[in-house]
Amino acid sequence: MPKRKLIPLPSAAFQILLALAGEDLHGYGIMRQVAEQTRDRMRLGPGTLYSSIQTLLDAKLIEETEPREDAKLGHERRRYYRLTSAGRKLARLEAERLADLLRLARAKKILRGEYV
Amino acid sequence: MSEKIFAWLLHLFPSRFRKAYGEEALQLVRDRCRDEKGFFSRLRLWLDLLGDLALSVPRAYFPVQHELTGYLAHLRSGSGPAFLVLEEESLGPGALFFGGLLTLAAVVSFSVLLNHRVKHVPLSALIRAAPGSADHRSSSFGPRTPEQARDFQQGAIAPATGPQPEMAASGPESSNANDARSNGLTRPDGSGPRKVQSGQRLGSADAALAGANLNRAERRRVVREAAANLEKHYIDPVVAQKMADALREHEKNGDDDAATDSSAFAELLTQQMRDVSHDRHLEVLYSEAPLPRRPPAPTPPFQARYRKAMEQANCTFEPVQTLPHNIGYLKLDSFPDVSVCQHTAEAAMASLNHADAVIFDLRDNRGGSPGMVMLISAYLFDHPEYMYNPKENTTEESWTRSPVPGSRLADKPVFVLTSGRTFSGAEHFSYDLKMLKRATIVGETTGGATDVGTFHRLDDHFGMGIRETRAINPYAEPDWAGIGVEPDVRVKAADALERAVRLAESKLQKK
Repeated sequence: MPKRKLIPLPSAAFQILLALAGEDLHGYGIMRQVAEQTRDRMRLGPGTLYSSIQTLLDAKLIEETEPREDAKLGHERRRYYRLTSAGRKLARLEAERLADLLRLARAKKILRGEYV
Repeated sequence: MSEKIFAWLLHLFPSRFRKAYGEEALQLVRDRCRDEKGFFSRLRLWLDLLGDLALSVPRAYFPVQHELTGYLAHLRSGSGPAFLVLEEESLGPGALFFGGLLTLAAVVSFSVLLNHRVKHVPLSALIRAAPGSADHRSSSFGPRTPEQARDFQQGAIAPATGPQPEMAASGPESSNANDARSNGLTRPDGSGPRKVQSGQRLGSADAALAGANLNRAERRRVVREAAANLEKHYIDPVVAQKMADALREHEKNGDDDAATDSSAFAELLTQQMRDVSHDRHLEVLYSEAPLPRRPPAPTPPFQARYRKAMEQANCTFEPVQTLPHNIGYLKLDSFPDVSVCQHTAEAAMASLNHADAVIFDLRDNRGGSPGMVMLISAYLFDHPEYMYNPKENTTEESWTRSPVPGSRLADKPVFVLTSGRTFSGAEHFSYDLKMLKRATIVGETTGGATDVGTFHRLDDHFGMGIRETRAINPYAEPDWAGIGVEPDVRVKAADALERAVRLAESKLQKK
């Protein structure tokens, strides 16, 4: 898939930010959410997931919340992650950037169709 | 399982990462394992994990955090579209070449592995190879080393292909069990012969089928026949009945059910009989080649061939040598039939007559005729001596015809050289001379032949050897059957002659 290779984003970080836009999630929840929103094209492995989370935490784009149980997944306490305002802003900026790109692509008649 | 492997793979990450996220990462894999069941889901899971490892492990060591924050700053500045790649430079030709090479190697090795024929090993064989079972038994019965096993196979089990002196030696006089063995019988116990057998299996699919699959009905038939033969032929009817009952009982209780491999089954039956009788001359044998209905009797052409082979080989007597200190040395590679080789034997003994000490080299002796054993032994005594032989009933013939007129060997020191290849009749000679303290045995423990029984066909592939004679063993049992004759002086077969010469010299000097 050369098309995807040439485009640096959507990156794992952006997808994680988008996944957390709806609700706070734990690691596995993020992984599932990302898989769902990319129609299973991106399944984050643990290494990528947690190194991305670490990076996002360091950049204060997300934050950790109190560990709690996920009723659906048993009694283990899990760390949940929440999107910070900075993270939300970045996600929006990135989305706008992509929208700009789309507009550009349409203008150049590279992309047709009404969607997005 | 997946979780354990992943826990191990986690060690690829820097400890900082493991400490912070190791437990969570494991939890994630656990969650996925629980949610994604089935072969393809698992496969996808593992592809994800491995792909992820390949990407994220290097990144974990070379964090790209500053780039992301830089990117953030860049976005905040509000300028136009921005691209950010994690790798600043495209891959160099060296990396591409190396990666290509690695991929090629992986593809090639994978296809090689796919095409590689791996021998199918039935589960039962693996179970049987467990410590303490077959290996243990082989230490007390049958050939003990691969080398012994090979000779065992060549010499004693399948000797009837061509006029070799060894085969000929066991010809006319001992035509019972030995002949039956010549049909390619494999011994039930001993790891060696089984190895040979598995080698044969590779060559023949049919044989493999015959060897591997044994159903209950077949086992029952073999047990029934074996028990009947015991009752009919075994020398002690009381013990025979006990053994037959034991065999049937084991079969009924399902003790034999695990033995789906024919050789293992033969071994098992042998052990069951021996557990009752402690008779090492009893055995059940398995043959991959179908057993003929009637063992071929020695025919006149056979006799003629034998005679010719013996004449060509000087009856397997090598020329007598006189070593320093007047030590006579005779290498004898079988005990040939007296009716053919009497004169050769007498001539050889006459050449030894002047010696002050005698060394019989039986390291390559595969056995042969009891008559020849008696003939040669007779020279070594000044009075008739009883020579125990489990193959024959105790009769007048069991005493040597000593003294031999003109023999001066009756009081000379005698040394017998043995090896793991020393077999059957040669063990008869060694055992009795050792027990009579007439000779010093120098070398290795002998092969431990159990070929004293009459062979009875049980079905197309199974047979059993039952000893139907009753010789009186004046020495404590057991004899050499299955365990061999222990040397008095244990040295490697290759060093036996040198040692015997030294022993003879020191003995002669003392005189």
